Amino acid sequence: MNDFLELVVSAAASGCIYALVALAYLIILRPTSVINFAVGEWAAVGAFVGVAVLTPLIWPRLEGPYWLAIIAVLVILGALGWLVELLTVRPLVNKGASITSPILALLGVLVVFRETMTILFGADPLPSPPPFGFNRVAFGPFAGASQQFLIIGATLALFAAVWLFFERTVWGRAFEAVALNRRAAALMGINLRRVTAMAFAAGAMVAGLAGLLMSPLTSAHYMMGLPLAIQGFTALVIGGVGRVEGALLGGLVLAFVEQLGARYLPIPSGLTLAFPFVLLIVFLFLRPSGLIAPREAR
Amino acid sequence: MTAIRILPALVAAAILACAGTAGAQDTVKIGVITDRVASAKFYAEPVSRGVELGAKVINEKGGILGKKIELIVEDDQNKPDVSAAKARKLVDDGVIAIVSNTGSPATQQAQTVSLETKTPHLTPANSADFLTTQLDNPYFFQTGPLASIQLGTLMAYTKSRGFKQVAIVRDNSALSQSFADSFKQGLEKAGIKVALEEVIPQGATSAVANLQKVRAEKVDAILQAGVLGPEMLQFFRAYRQLGMQEPILGSYNLSIPAYLTMAKDLMDDVVFVDAMDLDKPEAKAFVQAYVKEYNEQPSSLPGYGWDGIFLLKQAIEKAGALDKEKIRAALQSTTGFVGAIGAKGTSWGFGPGKRTGFDPQGAVVRIIKNNQHGPVVFAGQK
Repeated sequence: MNDFLELVVSAAASGCIYALVALAYLIILRPTSVINFAVGEWAAVGAFVGVAVLTPLIWPRLEGPYWLAIIAVLVILGALGWLVELLTVRPLVNKGASITSPILALLGVLVVFRETMTILFGADPLPSPPPFGFNRVAFGPFAGASQQFLIIGATLALFAAVWLFFERTVWGRAFEAVALNRRAAALMGINLRRVTAMAFAAGAMVAGLAGLLMSPLTSAHYMMGLPLAIQGFTALVIGGVGRVEGALLGGLVLAFVEQLGARYLPIPSGLTLAFPFVLLIVFLFLRPSGLIAPREAR
Repeated sequence: MTAIRILPALVAAAILACAGTAGAQDTVKIGVITDRVASAKFYAEPVSRGVELGAKVINEKGGILGKKIELIVEDDQNKPDVSAAKARKLVDDGVIAIVSNTGSPATQQAQTVSLETKTPHLTPANSADFLTTQLDNPYFFQTGPLASIQLGTLMAYTKSRGFKQVAIVRDNSALSQSFADSFKQGLEKAGIKVALEEVIPQGATSAVANLQKVRAEKVDAILQAGVLGPEMLQFFRAYRQLGMQEPILGSYNLSIPAYLTMAKDLMDDVVFVDAMDLDKPEAKAFVQAYVKEYNEQPSSLPGYGWDGIFLLKQAIEKAGALDKEKIRAALQSTTGFVGAIGAKGTSWGFGPGKRTGFDPQGAVVRIIKNNQHGPVVFAGQK
């Protein structure tokens, strides 16, 4: 039983990371209809920004506090997201390009980010210190690493904040209006450019935070983006692209299937690599709207 | 019109000038192929550092045949095609020997150039057994411990500890799978049961499930065959988090010092295959020179490069001239070379038709203590 409960903590922490990446997809996808596969690279950038602030590896004598790393990630990733929208997506939209054009352009952005990270930080994985050490902690029967509990707590708080933004603020309503009907929203006076720019900036911030939270477990390395992009996208498909809570549910389902499957299914562990892809195919075939239906379908 | 007439003369003069420079070479040009940015950087750069240190020390003591060593370093990004191109560039630059510190497949491809241009070619650290078996290149020499020798040593150690059943944990990279397959073959020969093989996939965010399965099998030891840093970090983190006590045995991949930084405080008591015994006088001399130069303790990796450049020095001095054919012959006749690398009491040698120089009893098993590669706990294959 102890094993199971410890695995629950581990899967919940992994699921929260997937959920944050799925949320980054969703924040951009809802108002723009653009699937941005570069969110995985943005998570990697967040991890590297964290290492740069928290350790003296990049700049000697700089060992900043964790709150400074969070602020740095939010500011730098927000600016990067906004710049990517300004330089890559907006020109294509202005020229009336089809929806696939920005998606392809953002794949190019993915490569640019990855190569830039390799040049700036090198190919070696960089250790990232956790704010509360690596101690094993227990809350009742649930035990795990302190970083795993931090990931779970921070993710729940972030999801609550994003849910409140969409449900309780005028800007959140504007996002939803654009998601439901772009043209009607524009006729109602909603500034589409601003909503799109904000979506990219906010999506990049969330992805960056996912990378910052995850890096103490995996280190920061230039190859971390692509698996995250796949896991986050799978979580998005499982949970559904219409609702914030769908991203959280999708991330948790994916991680629990991965880790409980790896632990208890009588199959070679190498086969567990296929779990995300199997889930992706199953949901796309049987329930393309995901577990939580979008608002317009209710 | 006048300009057109004098152009051929100018070109001819330039060619003659260049030829004159090459002929009157006042340095011993040695080419080094390394990986500065890609997947082999982990070990290629420390090995190259050892080559550079060795060259510096040799130069301070008067050089070779009264001439200073001039290293020409090229980065092949661990890509076989690039490695061959860089080898050709080095030959064009006039090197009299090439030292390959990059990945084994890249070194293999560079051999096509050393064979064609009849240039002595040495790899001081590559461990792949195929480097001297797939291509009959009399100019190529390998002094690093072969993978089969390292495996033999690890298996001998495993047997000496009385382990009856073990688990293998690896990642899903091709190299890691190759390590795991070698482990399995060696364990089967030694009569040790592999209870399970666990794979931590690239991009995993936790290895708790894998390690719980290992713990449930109640194995005597875990053989760590992973090579991907982030996935290995997850392995060690989950191992500590679950409070596991099973001994961990690692491949020579764990001799790469970057892991000590990446998995700081997580690797104490892990044993791994290596080829350096710090109690050996030659190893002590290398460590002393390294600490003096870089003000830090070296891992074994720079020792490979250090030995490589000293081996070349000995061969060139024996040849008595910067003649590639004579240097090749001198390398081929090397016997009894004792360097920083290799267990106490072992030496390197080639001899007729033999181009792998490492002593089969030269690999050792070391233990990690206080985030450092610690003392030798086992040596050889007996």
